[in-house]
Amino acid sequence: MTKPMHTTLEVPVAAGDEESYSLRMGPQHPATHGVLRVDLELDGETILDCTPRVGYLHRGFDKLAEHRTYAQGLILTDRLDYVGAMANNVGYCVAVEKLLGIDVPLRAKYIRTMVSEMSRICGHLLWLATHALDIGAMTVFLYCFREREVLLELFEELCGARLTFSYPRIGGVRQDVTHSFIRRLTEFANTFPGWIEDYETLIDTNRIWLKRTRGVGVISGEDALDLGITGPSLRGSGIKYDVRKARPYDAYSLVDFEVPVGRDGDIYARYRCRMEEMRQSARIILQCIDQLPPGPIVGDDAPDLVMPLHGHPKKEADASRWGTGLIRLLQDRSLFPRGEVYVSVEAPKGELGFYFISDGSGRPYRMHIRSPSFIHIGALPFMTRGAMIADLIAIIGTLDVVLGECDR
Amino acid sequence: MFVKYKPKRNLLETILHTEILQGMALTLRRLFSRPITRQYPDEEIPVALGFRGQHALVRDPETGGSLCVACMRCATVCPSRCIHIRYHEDDGKRVVDSYDIEALRCVYCGYCEEVCPVNALVLTEIFEYAAYSRQPFHFDRDGLLANWDRFCRERNISPQEYVNPFWRPRGLPENRLPAGKRLQVPEDWTMEGQVVGSRYREALPNDGTR
Amino acid sequence: MHVLVLLIQILVLFAVVMLHVAYATYFERKIIGHMQVRMGPMRVGWHGLLQPIADGIKSFFKEDVVPEQADRPIFLAAPVICLVAMLTSLAVLPFAPGWVLADINIGLIFILAMSSLSSYGVILAGWASNSKYTFLGGLRSMAQVISYEIAMGLSLVGVMMLSGTLNLSEIVQAQGTSFTGMYVFPQIIAFFVFCVAMLAETNRVPFDLPEAETELVSGYATEYSGMRYAMFFMAEYIGMMVMSAIGTICFLGGWNGPFTVPGVPFFWFVLKIYVFLFVFIWIRATLPRYRYDQLMELGWKLLIPLALANIALTGIVKAVIG
Repeated sequence: MTKPMHTTLEVPVAAGDEESYSLRMGPQHPATHGVLRVDLELDGETILDCTPRVGYLHRGFDKLAEHRTYAQGLILTDRLDYVGAMANNVGYCVAVEKLLGIDVPLRAKYIRTMVSEMSRICGHLLWLATHALDIGAMTVFLYCFREREVLLELFEELCGARLTFSYPRIGGVRQDVTHSFIRRLTEFANTFPGWIEDYETLIDTNRIWLKRTRGVGVISGEDALDLGITGPSLRGSGIKYDVRKARPYDAYSLVDFEVPVGRDGDIYARYRCRMEEMRQSARIILQCIDQLPPGPIVGDDAPDLVMPLHGHPKKEADASRWGTGLIRLLQDRSLFPRGEVYVSVEAPKGELGFYFISDGSGRPYRMHIRSPSFIHIGALPFMTRGAMIADLIAIIGTLDVVLGECDR
Repeated sequence: MFVKYKPKRNLLETILHTEILQGMALTLRRLFSRPITRQYPDEEIPVALGFRGQHALVRDPETGGSLCVACMRCATVCPSRCIHIRYHEDDGKRVVDSYDIEALRCVYCGYCEEVCPVNALVLTEIFEYAAYSRQPFHFDRDGLLANWDRFCRERNISPQEYVNPFWRPRGLPENRLPAGKRLQVPEDWTMEGQVVGSRYREALPNDGTR
Repeated sequence: MHVLVLLIQILVLFAVVMLHVAYATYFERKIIGHMQVRMGPMRVGWHGLLQPIADGIKSFFKEDVVPEQADRPIFLAAPVICLVAMLTSLAVLPFAPGWVLADINIGLIFILAMSSLSSYGVILAGWASNSKYTFLGGLRSMAQVISYEIAMGLSLVGVMMLSGTLNLSEIVQAQGTSFTGMYVFPQIIAFFVFCVAMLAETNRVPFDLPEAETELVSGYATEYSGMRYAMFFMAEYIGMMVMSAIGTICFLGGWNGPFTVPGVPFFWFVLKIYVFLFVFIWIRATLPRYRYDQLMELGWKLLIPLALANIALTGIVKAVIG
């Protein structure tokens, strides 16, 4: 027998107060939301130090976009925050439209606002589901997926995809809404607040939930701002900053909604903020349906999907055969200006920014995505110091990170 | 707006565990409600019209071949560059030699079918096409035409009447579309039949149907 | 001859309990499934009725992976310790008048001892796997069992004081056949403490910290596979049944019911156990999980003082009345 029967145990134990041991949590851990790896220094179960390691899902979107036309770049954004992809799509389109100076018809703006809010509900539902599951409330998970399924089916009816929508286009949206879609969405938005009650009955006042969330993962408003935290995670700390109000895009200046803000900056405050946000989203959806104006869904100066990649459009001989409106960009080279643009939108996770440098060719010279998840993971060491392993899981949950967006 | 918390529980509620009992009452109620599960292979899942699934080349009823005119718009617009077309010119007319789609590279964005001027290409509503190797996902022209036949057969589609929403995007005015894409569509796909908010409904004439 | 009869009885009990374990997993999955508006197992047999058997066959034939760095003998023995300790405690349970394998006078103490012993299996498994997750799971289990064993023992002291015996059959008889004779009424505080401690003893939600899936992957069982993994689960489910039986015997009057069912003397006993099991599952479908330090706090700062107060109260009342 080559191997000794009894190998010495080398389980590291913290001896006294001086020695700690390290635990590599993830990337294949059930509660790290995908492929986050956290290197922990532990004393017993108390976290002394925590270092998040990201990049396991890196696909190089910033670089890929440099070799694609602006229309083709849209499909990359589907795969950022794949639980609420519509908000990314909209953000990308808003940024490109600002770069190219394209106007969007009002109807398209309303539709975009509507679908952004649908995807916000989607994202928050998935957040609540996994967050509750992390803390051990299994049933909330399934209840959330029940409602998310309704939304995904609506998306499927609208644009033919359940997850990677690619629904907006530069200068508008790709498909108009239908009567049956609006009818089903109205029904959903009306009944959804009642479904939120379901989740709240299970966890809102539950003493175990309160114990796990009140006073845990506290971050003050100033610290949160310093760390660049945005979205509901920031608003839970009492800072009222929402891109939808601060720099309204699409139809957000035309609808009426509240921005919920928490006081305590703990997990519970962020939880309450997101729950309230879902109610507000349902309100916005109903308003959009109510105010949906007639008109075209694509602007007159919107480019065709086929865009010149190198900025030197060859004269398309038979352009007239395909009609004129959609391919104006082909003939009008000046539509690609030089310059830089940064546009941010309020994605479900936080402020999602797109930064373009254009050198006048048909593709971005540089695209940078300011993804909220990446920045939120940076806050992890600050929030978990001195907490326990179980708190770490809850804090990862409350920051609402999606690794697809973090690693890009 | 500051978020509101529910009032703190009092001593009696603490002792009686009311909030936990409420939660348990909810789960007990759900125990007797209908499950929402759909038993997938047994139950057919309704797929929305315009779902972006398996690729197909529309079979031309007259020639039995594809409608493709080798304009290369689909191959140009494809973000993942999974469409490969070879053609040669014959009397100034393009003749397609081969038309290949690598389905494993495809991201199912539907750009190709939207830009196709003759509606030759479609992402069908078929989503069940698993295989054990990569080769079956490399569709050539015959494979794509066979996909169309399968689609027509399985979904009971009449090839003459079928209109994919991406062939003629809903809500686009006809003058924005090339001639080949001005198809006969249901009323609420057109600009005239579009759904509008109740605020505008009064302003429009004869809104009885909407 | 007597030994042969005893052996047959043991085999019958073993078979019945194992069948119950198998179908407890099935009903757990079904009930939780329906509480979560889904269906649970549906594929194997009619409404998935053969699922536990399929699971059993699967785990029996799966490879039993032993990690290279594990402490091999202990690693292999740990699940067996767990299961055997739990199975042994079945011996003293009276299912009906006279239906008990070993009618010993220290039945209650014996069960407490055995349930402590089974946690050795968990601790050893956590230690021997030589993985940090299992190690943490083992440590959590150790601390949890020590704390809650005390609370549970103390909560049962009231019952012992009222009945004046540790023999389980006699405890049932001491409660009488009437509804009001059940010890749950005079010992309501003890019953509450017992129920919470029972959940913690059996590592069930909201106290499933040793195997907290989202924190420690699978806790002490992370490195186990195949049959040995299944043994931990059998031990857990037998543990649930034993604890339910203790609750039934000590607080709910054991086999006594409003009327006797002819031919099935254990009817009420089994029914009460089923109710307990349902509540176990029901709680799992509803509640989140405590944090480790909060669990300790609950045990030491709430349950143990409550149980002690209950003992004092019972003593005073008993002295005054009797």
